[in-house]
Amino acid sequence: MYSNKKKCVAMLLAGGQGTRLYSLTRDLAKPAVSFGGKYRIIDFPLSNCINSNIDTIGVLTQYKPFDLNQYIGNGQPWDLDRLNGGVFVLPPYMKGETSDWYKGTANAIYQNIEFIDKFSPEYVLVLSGDHIYKMDYSQMLAYHKEKGADCTIAVINVSLEEASRFGIMNTNPDNSVYEFAEKPKHPKSTNASMGIYIFNWSKLRKYLIEDEEDKSSQNDFGKNIIPKMLGDGQKLFAYNFSGYWKDVGTISSLWEANMDVLDPSSGINLDDSAWKIYARNTAEPPHYVGKNALIVNSLITEGCNINGKVVNSVLSTGVEICEGAVVEDSNIMPGAKICKGAVVRHSIVGNNAVVGENAVVGDTQKEMVDGQWQITVVGPNANVKANQVVPVKAMVD
Amino acid sequence: MNNAMSIIFASDNESKLNELTLHRTTASLPFGGRYRCIDFALSNLVNSSVTTIGIITRSNYSSLMDHIRMGRDWDLNRKNSGIAVFPPYASNTSTNVFKGKIEALYGILDYIENSDDEYVIVTNSNIIASIDFDEVYEAHLASKADITMLTYTSQPTTSRRVLVESDLSGRVRGMKITRNASDQVSEVGLSCYLFNRKQLIQLVTDSYERGKMDFERDILQANIDSLNIHAYKVAGHAALVDDVKSYYKESMAILDGDIRDSLFYSVGKVFTKVKDSVPTRYCEGAKVVNSLIADGCKINGTVENSILFRGVVVEEGAEIRNSIVMEGGRIMKMSRLNFAITDKDVTVTEDKTLSGSEAYPVVVVKNKTV
Repeated sequence: MYSNKKKCVAMLLAGGQGTRLYSLTRDLAKPAVSFGGKYRIIDFPLSNCINSNIDTIGVLTQYKPFDLNQYIGNGQPWDLDRLNGGVFVLPPYMKGETSDWYKGTANAIYQNIEFIDKFSPEYVLVLSGDHIYKMDYSQMLAYHKEKGADCTIAVINVSLEEASRFGIMNTNPDNSVYEFAEKPKHPKSTNASMGIYIFNWSKLRKYLIEDEEDKSSQNDFGKNIIPKMLGDGQKLFAYNFSGYWKDVGTISSLWEANMDVLDPSSGINLDDSAWKIYARNTAEPPHYVGKNALIVNSLITEGCNINGKVVNSVLSTGVEICEGAVVEDSNIMPGAKICKGAVVRHSIVGNNAVVGENAVVGDTQKEMVDGQWQITVVGPNANVKANQVVPVKAMVD
Repeated sequence: MNNAMSIIFASDNESKLNELTLHRTTASLPFGGRYRCIDFALSNLVNSSVTTIGIITRSNYSSLMDHIRMGRDWDLNRKNSGIAVFPPYASNTSTNVFKGKIEALYGILDYIENSDDEYVIVTNSNIIASIDFDEVYEAHLASKADITMLTYTSQPTTSRRVLVESDLSGRVRGMKITRNASDQVSEVGLSCYLFNRKQLIQLVTDSYERGKMDFERDILQANIDSLNIHAYKVAGHAALVDDVKSYYKESMAILDGDIRDSLFYSVGKVFTKVKDSVPTRYCEGAKVVNSLIADGCKINGTVENSILFRGVVVEEGAEIRNSIVMEGGRIMKMSRLNFAITDKDVTVTEDKTLSGSEAYPVVVVKNKTV
């Protein structure tokens, strides 16, 4: 008999609005935001999946999905165009007489129980679409099986100061979880949840249905499902991950992660033939470097045209830097143009934005303030007028 | 034009490309930093809605097969239509590989006959140009031509060229097939033609059966009076790559912004095999000016007036001037290249100097270590 059965199905939560990215996510979902020159954030979990031999992925979308849908398409750039399996974009849909937006992370999976059931998987991998990292999920799955766990949660060691910003897993010596603390004021450990879970599907299915019946629940994995499973004495294990991992949910962290790509010691090596990150290609010609250009310590990709000075910066596809312009410590997103004589420092310039002649955007930032870099943002399609001065941390829409 | 199919010749005039086509067809000759020559023909066709494309190969076609695969990168992996690659054809009656275009077309006559398209675009794969075949088709209809041949203006070289004399209406009245170079600028055929499909079948069959083997002489020149052959001058930049000198010259031409605009931003996108390279990294020692750089490079030296293909490494203190470094090249510390073409995966070890001249650039063959 022909069978659709898959051992493990991945569910990628991509519906969040990403409000802390402000204008960068005004017109598109956070996972569709550009990163590292030629990537989008979602390329990381999708590439991790295919590199981990997981070929069936549901992408749960809700907020401004068109860009993301178009980007994912039939999944071909990630080798996810499959006869059986592949990538599926899953927006909320009508069910009989009821229909609902995704109310929370757990509810989003709950609403797609039927989708997962079609593949009768033993395991479900839950991922989020706003992290930059390279991870072999197949090793985590092997660990999950070895421990005989009902749920395995990937954790990363963070500093004690940072720990109060994360969900913290308190574990026994055998790595089994005895307590989960969401953003604790006085953290007992520094094992932060990475928002990556593997569940035995039969178990998760049961908990999702129960959670849905509980009207007081916020239908969230961290707040509801995990504590409930712990309370019921289910076997939850922490899986320690030690590579590069960064939540790029804020302007400061998105900028910082882009800078990390420039730094070979940061640990996020994209030039890794054993673990390629795939992206949809835009068929642009190689980039051109003009007669008066100077480029140092930067990443430049296809379709760029550089005639000015670029230092410590990441330029995305099709960026134009005109003569006499200076770009330092910045991330310039696809199609943006920095006109003659303009200066851009410690900034993020959004897709197709134009920084007019001799404009000055942002300024050099030596250190963080309250744990945040003071980054200036020029929003997608925004226009900075000629000679305009955009002060540090301002946002131009 | 959605009523046309196309036949592309992967090999033609290869002899003068020397080392560059030692292991490959002209079609798969790397060009312009991330392309192969045939990408221009394929992209022009696809951008003009021509999606039934047969590629005739003669020899050394494995690099071409690897490049094209199922045609997905040109959106040619279709249920109906799409790409067909014809390996060298040896029939039961002849054991030799075909001698010319007529014999090659005769060998795949079934493929051409099976189509229900009204037109066929027959083209070489060494044409570097952005061509809108919808406009060619309109001109073809307006001139009521039997055959439209694409031309450009250039100086004839010592490669075989078809020089065209056309009247004010564009009808071709004279045709000279020559290998004589000249400083005089002429209207030169690009070896790209629009035929009525049934007429092409008939012309090919008739020529083949009479033992005539030269496409340009026996099909075009011989019928100049009996058929209405029109010239269509390609708008924008056009070039033919068929010897080392023209390869070098036409590669360097892309450093000109107007020519890049004409090739890449005037008609449609130029598609090629996607390799998922990372963006190029410029290190502290990078000094790059007037150069075209593909993705996946790592640059820590000097690069001037040059073209780097994907994944080239330029180490500290290395200097590359007026050169073309193909995919996977590695130019080690303190080495110098001037007027050089290094083929795929060439390593130039520390402190070496390779120097040619504009007319005779040094060519280093694939996989070699200097």
